[in-house]
Amino acid sequence: MKRVRLDRWASQLQPPRNPRLQVQRCALSHETTTLPRRRDLHQQRQYITQTQWQCQRQPVSSKRKASTAAVLQEAGNEGESEASKLPSRNKKSTTPLYAPSHHTAARSAKLAALHARLSLPPKLPLQTLARCLVDPSADPRSDYNNAPFAILGQDLLGYHTTEHLTCHYPRLPMSVLFAAQYAFVGEATLASVRAEWGVEVVAAPGVEVDAGLLQLKRQVPGNSMVEGTGRRVKDMPGVRALGARLGGGRRNAEWNYRRGVSSRVVFDDEFGDLIGGEPYAGAQLSTSASEDGGAVDVEGGDGTTSSLPTLPQSPDDTEATTVSDASASFVRAVAGALYLHVGAAATRTFHRDHILSRQLDLHTMFNFTHPTRDLSRLCAREGFEPPVARLISETGRLSRTPVFVVGVYSGDNLLGEAAGASLNEGRVRAAAAALRSWYLYSPSKGEIVVPSEVEGMAAAGKGKEWKPQVIDVGEIVT
Amino acid sequence: MPPARTSSLCASCATALHSQAPSTSHAGLRTFTTTAAHQSAPAQDQPRWKQTPPAMKMAFRLRPRPNQPEWKVNDQQAPLDEMYDSFVGHAGEAAKGQTGVESIKGRDLLPEEVKWLAITHKSFDHGRRGFNDRLAFLGKRIVYLQTSLALLRSPTAAPQVFTTKKERKNENMNIFHHPALAGTENLTAFSKAQVLSPSRLARLAQSYGVDRVVRWKPKKAENLKGSGVETVLAHTVYSIIGALAMQRGGEVAARTARERILQPLGLR
Repeated sequence: MKRVRLDRWASQLQPPRNPRLQVQRCALSHETTTLPRRRDLHQQRQYITQTQWQCQRQPVSSKRKASTAAVLQEAGNEGESEASKLPSRNKKSTTPLYAPSHHTAARSAKLAALHARLSLPPKLPLQTLARCLVDPSADPRSDYNNAPFAILGQDLLGYHTTEHLTCHYPRLPMSVLFAAQYAFVGEATLASVRAEWGVEVVAAPGVEVDAGLLQLKRQVPGNSMVEGTGRRVKDMPGVRALGARLGGGRRNAEWNYRRGVSSRVVFDDEFGDLIGGEPYAGAQLSTSASEDGGAVDVEGGDGTTSSLPTLPQSPDDTEATTVSDASASFVRAVAGALYLHVGAAATRTFHRDHILSRQLDLHTMFNFTHPTRDLSRLCAREGFEPPVARLISETGRLSRTPVFVVGVYSGDNLLGEAAGASLNEGRVRAAAAALRSWYLYSPSKGEIVVPSEVEGMAAAGKGKEWKPQVIDVGEIVT
Repeated sequence: MPPARTSSLCASCATALHSQAPSTSHAGLRTFTTTAAHQSAPAQDQPRWKQTPPAMKMAFRLRPRPNQPEWKVNDQQAPLDEMYDSFVGHAGEAAKGQTGVESIKGRDLLPEEVKWLAITHKSFDHGRRGFNDRLAFLGKRIVYLQTSLALLRSPTAAPQVFTTKKERKNENMNIFHHPALAGTENLTAFSKAQVLSPSRLARLAQSYGVDRVVRWKPKKAENLKGSGVETVLAHTVYSIIGALAMQRGGEVAARTARERILQPLGLR
């Protein structure tokens, strides 16, 4: 039997030295960071400071000094001493961390893999991508979370989606436009985008988790049991606390106020939903939120909260969010970060690749209550002959399953045609088909130029010539 | 092809089917011919914005007139053109070089129908002459994006790149600093809502004279604020931006939003 060689055991347990691993601190900085072998201390410090904005120096605490870069880092004593003095240097630097520090971002395999999988431009650093994964519920400080990026990204994605819909379908009714906007860039869609990208979600946020996971404070599910009682969370009275209302100015709670479609353009978000987070107008809010709402209403509909809402300072005070809301914030934050680091063209490409590439059946999103009446009003407005329904063909009239194919004609022109189980059903379906064909009109592809294609420097470079787009007067008011 | 069954089609329907031309595509809906018997075509001399479609009106009024003053709106071209000139200002220069643009004054950037459509609210004439909802939807997206970008450009307290020794000492090591991320602390939902509240936009619109030309119908003529005049004015501001975007492109619209809306509201 061979003797156990403990000295060889120890060396074999160490991971193999790979000199290439330590050379590039920031895997995606476009400047090469292979430091030359000999530099004096002053130059080292300057170089380190200049590259600092690309990739933060890491306090090298591991014993592995496989590369010259690591040696120089260690030799730059300021680095090490500053790292050791970090907790006590300045009270600003001792800010607590609730999510993985950006120093760990360059070492995260998940993050680098995500960056590569999405083919993100190298100008977008891993550290920013790591910050995009931190939801405000995990860390409420705006320098550490993705809130600013998400706001900018939401504006960008919403703008590109709206201009796409408005230019490709100039006659869409407002309710369908809101619904299509949600179908393209709403929370549910972006949540499935996040899942398709393969980004995993933490069970609870913390400093020790991998930097490539989506960090959020998860909401307690409504079906879970409350401790000490036999009731579910959703059945507890008045538990749900909603976020502060920001300038909504809605007077929904008043008895004589009705929230219509037109006013949603000014007051509500891009999907026509209430901004305050109420699930529906007049929903039961927790006491603090409803008091704020009451105060705003009393001021006479001015709507804006004049005082800054008290901001939480630590994750203990933040509101828990759902996975889908946090996922949507993450995807929006990626778009916003792309704009900040790379530019508008990259954001347009991102929107085209991830949002517009999704199929949406607009013809299924219509809901008509009186299509025959609406079609009649449409023909009257446009100056067509009044619509007349005519039976085109039929079969099985006296059987259990008749089929009547009805066409709606304006003069001699067929507007819409559909089959139904009864004469009336055929007539109504044909009118709905006619209305759908009117509202889903799309100009030919050669005529469509979206506004952002001629915006900024892109216009000068690409030479895309602007063509005025079709502007429709509006839908029939039902 | 003569139909095999005889009882399901009446004679007039059969003739109509026989004489039907090869079915027009849906894109050709605009080019219907009107037969001589049908008289409901709108009078050709009146533009569309000027008259409500005759087929949508009753020939006579059945109900008595309500006991309130009649609400009148502007129907003259001159005040509207002046409003557009003052609204757009010099931002029309971005439209230089486009085909069909002779002068860059606000009144010449948009065709007549679009100019009237952009200031017509849904409450006007029961929506029969069209309304500006869709334009306002697009315009609001443009204004919101420009607001976010302007907030990012606003001055900030903390630097992003540290050059002096003193700055490096105070630097927070836990935050990733990058020049591209300057100004992100200014961008919050609260700051955006403060900038773009409907009442501020309404006051801005009044300064441009939009309230004198907007076509709408208040619920109570003696209580405009209670009838939502601020909402309508904010809506109209957005829709003018949207109309500029659809007619003249994103550069003109963004520049108008930056120079004529955000700059007077305090953001550069």
